[in-house]
This record gives sequence, C-alpha cells and structure tokens, in this order.
Amino acid sequence: MTALREVPRAGRQLLGSISHLKSCQASLRRCASTEAAASRPTIPDIEQESGLTAPIVTREDVQIVAPRKRASQRTHELPHERYRYHPPKYYRGPLHPVQPPPPSDPVARNFTPGPFNLPRLKHTFHSSVASDIMTLTYQHTPPGTPDTPERIRLREWDDSSPYMKNRPKRGPRGNDVLFPLEKDITWRNIPEIKAIHLAMYLPKAKKNRDHIIVGKSVLQTITGVRPEVTTTKASVAQWGIVKGDRSGVKVSLRGNQAYEFMDKVIHLVFPKIKDWKGISGTTGDSTGNISWGFDATTMQYFPEVEANYSLYPSKMISGCRFTLETTAKSDRHARLLCMSLGIPFYGKLVD
Amino acid sequence: MAASSRGGNAASALLRRGQSSICASCRSAQFRPYSANAEAAATAEAHHLKPTEAQPHPPFTASRRAEYRIKSGIILTRAPLLTRNLTPFENAFFFYQKRLNERLVLPFRHTLFYKKDTAADLDWRIKFEERGRIAAKDIGRYYAQGRNAWNDELLVGSTLSDEERIREILLKDAENRVTEDGEEADPDEIVPVERPMDRITEADKTNDVRRLDRKLDRTLYLLVQGSDGKWQFPSEDVPTDEHLHETATRVLESAAGVNMNTWIVGRVPVAHLVTQPEFNEDTSLKQKGEKVFFLKGRIMAGQADLNGNKLGLQDFNWLTKEELKEKLSEDYFHSVRNMMADR
Repeated sequence: MTALREVPRAGRQLLGSISHLKSCQASLRRCASTEAAASRPTIPDIEQESGLTAPIVTREDVQIVAPRKRASQRTHELPHERYRYHPPKYYRGPLHPVQPPPPSDPVARNFTPGPFNLPRLKHTFHSSVASDIMTLTYQHTPPGTPDTPERIRLREWDDSSPYMKNRPKRGPRGNDVLFPLEKDITWRNIPEIKAIHLAMYLPKAKKNRDHIIVGKSVLQTITGVRPEVTTTKASVAQWGIVKGDRSGVKVSLRGNQAYEFMDKVIHLVFPKIKDWKGISGTTGDSTGNISWGFDATTMQYFPEVEANYSLYPSKMISGCRFTLETTAKSDRHARLLCMSLGIPFYGKLVD
Repeated sequence: MAASSRGGNAASALLRRGQSSICASCRSAQFRPYSANAEAAATAEAHHLKPTEAQPHPPFTASRRAEYRIKSGIILTRAPLLTRNLTPFENAFFFYQKRLNERLVLPFRHTLFYKKDTAADLDWRIKFEERGRIAAKDIGRYYAQGRNAWNDELLVGSTLSDEERIREILLKDAENRVTEDGEEADPDEIVPVERPMDRITEADKTNDVRRLDRKLDRTLYLLVQGSDGKWQFPSEDVPTDEHLHETATRVLESAAGVNMNTWIVGRVPVAHLVTQPEFNEDTSLKQKGEKVFFLKGRIMAGQADLNGNKLGLQDFNWLTKEELKEKLSEDYFHSVRNMMADR
C-alpha cells in the first residue's frame, strides 16, 4: 500500500521538469512575509502606556451639565437591568453547574470589602526585601549537574503478600506526620507573611467574666477584628479548670490586615519595650511559623491602647501569644523574612 | 567537605601560593588539572574554542582562562525610602471599597475609644458634627445606612479619592480643637499640626544627581565615570587569592571611600558582563576578553567620596533605572538590567 501511495509523488517528480505549470523563479516571487517585513507596522504590538495610570473618561467627555447635582437630586435607585443575578444560597460542590461568585464580588453572599490600601510594609517587601532574600539564598548549580532525586520519606510495601499490591505507601516510622520539605527559594516561593494569630489565655475569667470582656476589647482595639472566645479543652483538677469554660480570646488576621499589624508591631511596639533583646532564636514550629509572647505591660505600647489606657481596668489587661504564619516551609526561611523586615533574634538559632 | 580536608586545602594553598594560577573558588571546587602537554597543545589552538553558533558552550580548558580577565564589580543601591504614588485607578478602587465596607460594618462605638466627658471625647464630638455625623474621615458625605446609600459610586471628575485630599483631611483632623479649659477652641487658637516632609526634595528640584536624597520612592544605583570617560559600575580584577565578594568590598572601598555604611547582599554575583577576546590574523591573542561579575550592595548611610581614589575615577552619580539606561552602553545595561527592581 505504501508503495502505491508513493506513486503520484514519484510521477510528479518525473514530470515536473517537463511541465509548463511550473512555479515562478525564486527571484521573482513576491511573498507576503517579505513585504510585511519591509513596511513597518505603524501600530506597536504591545501597548506602551498602562491603562491604569490615567482615567479613561474625563469630565470633558461627559455631556451632562451638573452631574453631581443631578445625582444628588435623584430620589430613587437607578433602575436595574431586567435580569439580576442572585448567587446560589448553598455551595453544591465543585462539579455543580451553578458556582457561587468569589467573595470579592459585591453580589456574593459572603462579600468582604477590601483591600482599602496598599500596606507600607508590602511596598518595602516588594521593592527591596524580596530581591534581597532571593540573592541571599541563591544556590548555584553548575549547568549540567544532574538533579538529586527527592528523598523518599514514605515507606514502601515489600510485596511479600499479594494484598500489598497498589497499597498507598506508609508514613514514616514513629511519627505519622510528614513535615514540609524546605525548597530552594526562587522567584516563585519567596517567603511572605500569610497570617497573624493572637491569643489570650484568661484563667481568671472563671471567677470574673469581665476578664473576657476586657481581653476582647483590647484585641479588637489593636487589630480591628472581632475576636472569638475560646473554651478550655480538658478538665484539670489541680489547676481548677473545667472542660468547656470560657477561658480566652483569639483573633486571626490575614492578608493586608496582617501586614498592617506587623508594621505596627515592628515600628511602634518593639522599640518601646524596655531592655528588649529580640525574639528568641529557638522559637518556631519547624514549618515556618514564628511565635512569641507579649506580656501585660507590652500591650499598653500598642498605640490604640496607649491613647486611652485609662479606659481599661489596668489589672485586667493580660498579655497575649503572637504567632506569625509565613509561607516559608522552614524556620530558617521564616526567620530570614523576619530579620529582613526588621525583627532581631537573640541566642542560639535552632531550626 | 569535611573539616579536616578544608584545613588541608588551606595549608596546601599557603604552600603553593607562589605558583598558583587558579582562582580561590576553582581551587576548592572539583577541578581536574590538565597535564602540561595538553595545556600547551590547547594554547596553540585556543582560538578554536571560542563560542560559535554550532557550539555555543565550548569545552572548558585551562587555556581558555588565559583569554579572559576575571573582574569583580559592585552595584551599590539605595533602597526606596518612600512608598510609591498610587495610580488614580487604585485610589478610586480603595475609596469604593471603603464605602462598601461602611455599608456592611457595625456602627463605630466611640465609647470604646473615648472616655465620657474628657477633652478627647469633646474633641471627637466637634469633628464628628463637622463631618455631618459620619464616623469615617475619608469617605465624604456618604450615609451608609441612609436613603441614598445605593448612590455610592464616584462621579467622573470627582477628587474625593485623591491621596492629596485625604492627606489634608487627616492633617486637619489631627488638630486639637479643645482648649485647656475644656471648651471648644476659637479658630485663631487652633495650632496647625506639623506637616510631613514633601515627597519631592531639594535635590529633585535642582536635579542634583550626586545626592542620595533624590527620587525617594525609587531605587538609586551608584554609577562611576572611569578615566576614559565611560560610565560603569566600580569593578576591578580579581586576584587569584581572593573571592568575588572580597574583591567587591575592596573595590567599593578603593573607589568610593570608607565614609559609607554599606552591606554586601550575599556572596553570589547578581549580574555578569562578558566581553569577548580579540584575535589577530595569525590566531594570536590581540586583546584579552573580560568577565565582570557584579555583586549587590546596599547603602544605609554616608556618601560616596572619590577624592584620592585608586581606580582613577572622575565622577559619580546616583541614578534610577531609566537614567542608567541612557548613561550605560546597550550591552552593559542589558547584562545588568535583570537585577534591578521595578521601582
């Protein structure tokens, strides 16, 4: 069959020389590509100016005489389009045809407004800290170096029984938790601030409920987020705590709020602490989260508390635990981020 | 590398210092020395080992090293001191989000922040009334719970979301409106608050490119003018017994003096520039090529001082990325541009 298929081509080659329907000479050919190259296009491929820098519509473009006056005189909301989209009441899973809009969409049921500004610390991070971290942690591998295979941490089955076929691999011996592996830092995974968690333990709240109220108001004042009340997880007779008691408050900040709060802590709170050495070098949960504590006297250095310190019953103000959650996968990288943002560490550094 | 072998290397390095022709980092790396015969043969056909189109990465031989001079340079930068100006779109977007937030949040409880019947409380009440009983300072006359709450979008040409306007409002708001007697202050008694310094400095107005307090929201780079009049980053030859970062530190000191508080970021180069060697007709070397490795430095305080520098430099400038592009040759800028931040 293949031989038969080749026949027309062979024939064309044989007859091609005598055919009068030959294509014209190469020198005389006019190609579209050569002509396009000769005449430069007047319109550039990529738009040079960003559309964000200038408003697209100016006042001169609008024909209305006094738009503000007209808008203020309007007594009713502008008529909607005929179809108004209402997001579904329930999330029915990723495969359902009707999906809820993202929470940044104002029509979404769980719409959360924001962002309201670009945090100062984020400016610093993107303009200088990120590139410095990348330079500091660069590991040169000469071209042609073979990739080192990833260490296999899951244990394989030894296939001594037919039932072991296709079984998922077992976890490590002794500890069933696999800690994240530290990857080399590239432009894709520069450690960043992910979240900040503040928690107060208020054991005295068992006797006097006011401790919870004061703790909540302090945390809400300094973070701007409504705290949650936590309960005791287990009863311990010696400590006089009972399971289910309301015994603390906590709050989590994410995204821009976390950056703003971190900025406040680094530049306003830390410098005011007396005889402060820095953060202990042994802190960290070995997965890139750094924790420390603020004692009761430090809480009054937060500018919001400092402004009206007399408003709080001073004996009821308690310290809090502070956890900085980063996108780093190891304490080493998280500490590098902290140091470049201006947090000193003291003592032995433990990874 | 084990500690013992490291010590051994250091000792052997001391012993063979006289005849050593290998640089420090190559010596510690795994390096297979060529025999003397092979080296002599390779020198004879050195020109064949230039990178060609067919073979862009010719094999590394001992002879090829002789064609290039290894240099180490430093790109000294001053990080931006200010945040950047936001675009009109960003301002309008943030403003709109603030109004949307105002529609959803719980009302502001001023009793949580101001004790009743104190001066601060009275001060807040005066300003609150002036704003038309709106707690938020920067969203204009917008009543989030009112009849016209739906009318939350900015009209074309509105200056409500301007950064400058919001800054003025906050400065006005910071003024104390209560006298020491606990009464509302007269307009002539109000002391205006100290204004923040201008984003545009004296050096910007006079365009003094030698000052460090210009272009506060941009990264500045130290550029020096050599004795031949060419603008470049300070660089010098690397001796065989020095690492790149050691040379870079030395270059900075010999070029711009010691009156600077600097930090060399890491020990790895961030950019490199290769100049190919030139050959005569008879394949002998006419001019050596250059390989310049640039390290990154940050200046925290001080100023460059070229008086009595050892590199014969004439002048220095602190320039932004765009200004560098005009001063440097195209190849030079092309080789260093990727280490530069957007801002």
